[in-house]
Amino acid sequence: MDERASINFGRILTGVIVLFVVAFWGAQIQEQHRHVARKKVRFWHMWTAEWKDVVDKIVDRFNKSQDEYEVEALSVPGSGSDSKFILGVMGGDPPDVMAQWNPIIPPWADDHLLTPLDDLMTPAEKKAFDDQAYPVVKKIGMYRGHLYGMSIGINMSALYYLPKQLRDAGIDPDHLPATLEGLAKIGERLDRFDSQRNLTHLGWGPATFSEFAPLFGGGLYEWQNGKMTIVTPQNLAALQYLAGIRKKLGYDNVVRYNAGLDMNSASGGWPFIDGAMSITIDGQWRVEQLRKYAPTLEYRTAPVPPAAGGPTLAGVSNGNFMIVPSGAKDPIGAWAFIKFWSGLTDPDTAAEFYTWGGWLPLTPAIAQAPIYKAYLKKYPQFQTFVDLMPSKTISVLPPVPYQEFLSDQIGKMEDSALRGTKTPEQALNGLLFAVDHEISRRKELGYDR
Amino acid sequence: MTARRGRNRRRLELQSLSPMQRVSVHVALLVLCMPALLPFIWMVSTSLKLDKDIYGSGKAGAAGLSLSSLIPHPMHFQNYPEALKTVPFGTYVFNSLGLCATTILAAVASSALVAYGFGRIQFKGRDFWFMVMISTMALPGQVTMIPQFTLFRWLGWYGTYLPLTIPSLAGAPFYIFLLTQFFRTIPMEMAESARLDGANEWTIFCRIVLPLAKPALATCALFQFLGAWNDFMGPLIYINDPKMDTLAYGLQQFYSSYDGKWAQLMAAATLFTLPIIVLFFFAQKTFIQGVATTGGRN
Amino acid sequence: MRKNLTGYLFISPWLIGFFVFTLGPFISSIWLSFTRWDIVSSPMWVGAANYRALLTNDDLFWKSLGITLKYAVLAVPLAVVIGVLLALLLNSKIRGIAVYRTILFLPSIVPAVASSVVFVWILNPQIGLINGLLKRLGVIGPAWLSDTKWAFSSLVFMSLWGVGGSMVIYLAGLKDIPVYLYEAALVDGAGPLLRMRKITLPMLTPVIFFNLVMGVIGAFQYFTQAFIMTNGGPEESTTFYALYLFNRAWRYMDMGYASAMAWILFLIVVVITALLFRTQRKWVHYGG
Repeated sequence: MDERASINFGRILTGVIVLFVVAFWGAQIQEQHRHVARKKVRFWHMWTAEWKDVVDKIVDRFNKSQDEYEVEALSVPGSGSDSKFILGVMGGDPPDVMAQWNPIIPPWADDHLLTPLDDLMTPAEKKAFDDQAYPVVKKIGMYRGHLYGMSIGINMSALYYLPKQLRDAGIDPDHLPATLEGLAKIGERLDRFDSQRNLTHLGWGPATFSEFAPLFGGGLYEWQNGKMTIVTPQNLAALQYLAGIRKKLGYDNVVRYNAGLDMNSASGGWPFIDGAMSITIDGQWRVEQLRKYAPTLEYRTAPVPPAAGGPTLAGVSNGNFMIVPSGAKDPIGAWAFIKFWSGLTDPDTAAEFYTWGGWLPLTPAIAQAPIYKAYLKKYPQFQTFVDLMPSKTISVLPPVPYQEFLSDQIGKMEDSALRGTKTPEQALNGLLFAVDHEISRRKELGYDR
Repeated sequence: MTARRGRNRRRLELQSLSPMQRVSVHVALLVLCMPALLPFIWMVSTSLKLDKDIYGSGKAGAAGLSLSSLIPHPMHFQNYPEALKTVPFGTYVFNSLGLCATTILAAVASSALVAYGFGRIQFKGRDFWFMVMISTMALPGQVTMIPQFTLFRWLGWYGTYLPLTIPSLAGAPFYIFLLTQFFRTIPMEMAESARLDGANEWTIFCRIVLPLAKPALATCALFQFLGAWNDFMGPLIYINDPKMDTLAYGLQQFYSSYDGKWAQLMAAATLFTLPIIVLFFFAQKTFIQGVATTGGRN
Repeated sequence: MRKNLTGYLFISPWLIGFFVFTLGPFISSIWLSFTRWDIVSSPMWVGAANYRALLTNDDLFWKSLGITLKYAVLAVPLAVVIGVLLALLLNSKIRGIAVYRTILFLPSIVPAVASSVVFVWILNPQIGLINGLLKRLGVIGPAWLSDTKWAFSSLVFMSLWGVGGSMVIYLAGLKDIPVYLYEAALVDGAGPLLRMRKITLPMLTPVIFFNLVMGVIGAFQYFTQAFIMTNGGPEESTTFYALYLFNRAWRYMDMGYASAMAWILFLIVVVITALLFRTQRKWVHYGG
């Protein structure tokens, strides 16, 4: 009985499968006739979840604002986006425009994967960009004298702090220390430990080496002459500062403390909201997040103070930018879309998009637009970040062809210094060695003629 | 008479376990089931929470991921309908099923044919080609991805389902190897007697070998289903039309490197997994049973 | 002869597929390993430069190879032993066995994306399940995936969750063992353990061999979980060979170099597999 039942089940299942296969392929053969009234502009991006909705809104606006082009957006998950783009270009079927945030401009430009945007701009537009775009926008988007990435949202970091916690510890929130060293000292007063020396509250949670090196007057790249500067007294001081704080707290302590918090949460779970850190450095998008999920929280923002003797308004930035692949079928349409979103020629319309994403503007004109000004009025905290935009001491990742490799190595260097496996000096020297090794390896293998 | 009764009694003896043995088997299995269930239970449990509840209240030391929060209060079932809305679930399921069904039929049938050749026929060069086939599995796919891509582009298949389906008509080394092992365990005498009766290889293949290898064939079908159902890289590379994407691809869209709708991702993953569980549970009889009579095996 | 023709006819689907879809890309990839190629510009011949650089001038190459080898030596035998034991248990005729089998197969069904995230949470040093349980026993658990000394072992341990797949194959193999063998043994008065040693295990060896070979091949290409859960860290302790290859290929855009890496791995795996096939005669028992 069992045997027959199982044979019948097998037969029925096979039959169902065959029928389904036929139906499936039948559906494929029926070509869907779509309206080809407009020119199609294919747009890929890496935003998912809540951010995807924002993107869809902007695309919608563009499609409604004119009737020559229709932008079709495709959300490509982050893990495969770079390979998919590369294969798309190779396959002769690239998108027309892509929004990116990975450090890909130098290597992709070198490989002729990108169309220089200046080829698509009119002289008037080029002049507008040269005159108006903030310095950091140019640093991110330009490579070897050409513009490859048009910024549609710069990210900046600044201090976020909770005045109440400071007051409770006897610190005046209206007069924060003017130096990083001072900040570290009040951070110590705000740290709390339990009986077993486990961390129960973090006072001052510094950010990464890339953020801090400029504050010490250091940095990995000399923008004037285009050289890497790794082992310098300023960089060493920055790394020592970070390693010193981490050592006082205990590396393992911090790992466990952070593990219990959802640091990456873009919603109500952000630990700052619950007061898990008194002072922290984070990006401008948190302002919008705090408005949505903690509207009554008392908090303030301020530029990160420099180290003693260091430059003010310094730090590191990255951002989202638009690229146009080489071989794009409709680069003109792509440029029209980029112009619309970035607000190069129509700042008043684009200002609204920047407010939707909590992004920082491309030009001062956008920051002056009525919608943006109203946004700033609503969120005075956001002004801190806008004030950082004109700064010339904001740095970005060095525009070298081995940018991803470099980015990985910086992370490893920082990790070993913070863990204490290496002293800051050893760690920096390790980075220098790795970079030099990579450069000579690339030469040996025939790169970077 | 006595011989048959004796035989049945022996069969029963083979099948039954003493109560003591039964209990110990149950205990052992129950203990093993707990870690096995852990990922799945966590997945379902998370799917019923709100994102901010996953980590607890955000204060250090919160018991967000401990056993006490395994059963969420209250349960947020709305993650499920919301997950279904975030991505076009229906389209994705249809596409995934279509690809699975197609590749199952193609791969299993092909692999059986090829395995019969390797396993049951002594022909010149057999061992050489068998080793070649096994070796093709040893090269990491990363480096053939682009040459393969170039090939498919040259064939004009970029942007279609063809790169994901046509190659399975050649069988897959994994199934071929597996089926070869199974086919080789069938005694030669059966084939010999059929050959004496005038049957050719094809008849032996269809009438004798295939029916005996049903468990193995069903196992291959199961693995092919899993492989096609979970395949994410294939659609990522070759499909550009959102209407043609699959469920595995859609699952990736719930999170990014910055943040994700974790609860919805888990809800989607649960929905993604359920059909397979049901399929496996009911199809078990077809290919795995205990020590039981199989008829024709004696 | 007739037999040769029939043989080739039967394997023709694979043979054709091999020549059309596989051989070309393979040869391409060998050629590419002798070039400098950043994926888009034309490859430029550099001779054995990639191989030379790999073998003499790349510490991470050797480190990642060592890590992968260690993983293979640990994880594969473990998986085979546990897989067989599980299958034997799940072959018992007790009530609810179908439920048990489904549960133990479950980890193989859950998509890697979801289960990797879940494991990261379970191993969370502060609020994860494991450390929570350990705390109840009065032990402070390590930081698992963030701890240089424990990350690798955590991944080895987690690989056991995938044993459900091979378990299903063993079960199919167990079903295929002819009953008359058992009956004959019973007539001879053999007890269950002797039956297992003399009949079950030997008859299962073809399938064990299959899982052993596939396990080795898979272990050397271990990538996904390391990519999602640790991304090679901490301090390169989980930088598996396939992960390093991926980085060189797609992130540092050095496909020629990565191709060389792939072919070195290929040689290693083929040699090991060939050796395994040699040992077949000694311990694998085919019924035919």
